Amino acid sequence: MRLFAGLREAAGWGERLVGWDEADAEASRNHRPGAGEVTPRSLWRQLQLGAVDLPAGLRVAVNHPFASSDQPLQPGDELAFLPPISGG
Amino acid sequence: MNWPSCPRSAVVEPLSPQEPAQESAAERAPFLAVRLHPEAFAPLEGLARWQVQLAALPGGAPAAESQFIGRVRGCNASGEPLEALELEHYPGMTEARIVSLAEDAAKRHGAAAVLVWHRIGRVLPGEAIVLVAVAADRRGPAQRCGQELLEALKHEAPFWKREWSQGVGRWIMGNTPL
Repeated sequence: MRLFAGLREAAGWGERLVGWDEADAEASRNHRPGAGEVTPRSLWRQLQLGAVDLPAGLRVAVNHPFASSDQPLQPGDELAFLPPISGG
Repeated sequence: MNWPSCPRSAVVEPLSPQEPAQESAAERAPFLAVRLHPEAFAPLEGLARWQVQLAALPGGAPAAESQFIGRVRGCNASGEPLEALELEHYPGMTEARIVSLAEDAAKRHGAAAVLVWHRIGRVLPGEAIVLVAVAADRRGPAQRCGQELLEALKHEAPFWKREWSQGVGRWIMGNTPL
């Protein structure tokens, strides 16, 4: 998992490995919400990264492309939470 | 001709103008040059080098070119003197997003070539932070593509700015007005 900018500083870390158990992996593979399926939203809540739900304006990327916060994750995926962008 | 060397870059998208000669400019894949610079860059020197590469395209350089250079302001949104702007990015994703945005914009407008240079790291007031240039057959596509791509970079490419004033850093949420 990766965090950036203000989100990284608020959490006190920018990168960490999140462990999976076989039940989580199986639920994600079979898309079984509520059965331990791991999604960006569930990890956000599990790791208590801020408000209970993802804040407005925060975006998610999985293996670099933008992704839905409810996309089932697989072991080995790189998940990033991205604060509002301010480039250019 | 010897051009001044550029600072080392985080990524360089190789330029590949070897499209089949029988294709028209509108049919060719756009010629993309994307680079993230961890150190200050000289935008006019970059443009000069790019124009040499455009001249080597099949059919020569397109007739119209739009260019935009964005520099760091000397003050922050509150009017206080700005010491520096810090630009964080997501290595890998940022480069891929810029390439994708540039390619999409070029195809939408039928532009032949796009250059995007963007700073990362600590940028001082007056230094260039972004350079966007578009070459097309006519001024309309060149200008519209450049404008659209610049806005896309501001909202769709993962960069985060932190303003440093009086030794204090503050993350910027969102962008300056158009």
